[in-house]
Amino acid sequence: MSQQLDHQQIRQLLNHSAARLDEPVLSGLRAARARAMEQHAAQHAHTLAVSGHGGRLGHGSFQQHRLSYWIAGLLLVASIVSGIAYWQQTSTDTSDEDIAILTDDLPLQVYVD
Amino acid sequence: MQMSHRLAVFGIVLALCLPAWAAAQPWTALSAAQQEALSPLSAQWNNLPQTEQQHLLKMARKYPQLTPLQKQRLHKRLLYWSQLTPEQREGARQKYKAFRKVPPATREQVKRMVEQQEAEKARAASAVSAAPTGGNPP
Repeated sequence: MSQQLDHQQIRQLLNHSAARLDEPVLSGLRAARARAMEQHAAQHAHTLAVSGHGGRLGHGSFQQHRLSYWIAGLLLVASIVSGIAYWQQTSTDTSDEDIAILTDDLPLQVYVD
Repeated sequence: MQMSHRLAVFGIVLALCLPAWAAAQPWTALSAAQQEALSPLSAQWNNLPQTEQQHLLKMARKYPQLTPLQKQRLHKRLLYWSQLTPEQREGARQKYKAFRKVPPATREQVKRMVEQQEAEKARAASAVSAAPTGGNPP
């Protein structure tokens, strides 16, 4: 009949087992952990570089990021300026009314003070 | 970033800013259709503010859909309209909108009344111009 172990018990068993390991085994495990950490750090740096500038690896990634932010900001400002100008043109468009007044049956003087 | 990418970004920014940067157009740059629609303003067109030109060009787009009588009215009134202040024009628009809400029967009555007044004015003006110098007694 198998005994169910919780996380706490498993951790105690592992710690107990690790304390009984020989020194060569322990040093081998430490070295393997260090290699795994280095590999993870290298993969993380590669991912950042790829997302930063279209897959080109190299120096100056910080400057590249900063330039990208400036360009994005510039595009945003241009879009806002353009949007405001368009909104002003459309919201104050009275050309339909003006044409109607200027071609109406009644003379213009009726509407003008 | 490569030079071609920078140029592309610059082009996009410029294109996005174009609506806010519409420059004034000289009379000679207008199309034949625009010149026909706005012909009463040909003399002062180049001195009009850019926003005013844009507004008038929008009006000119509707010119082909007008009837001959409407085109005639537009040409007759356009110069006077362009000389009004923005406040006067806004007042006219408000009056026009208010008049549109008046019941059709009442509107027709007002129109007939105004037509009568205009006809009387025209008769009086022609009588004055036809009268000999020294004039008859009233």
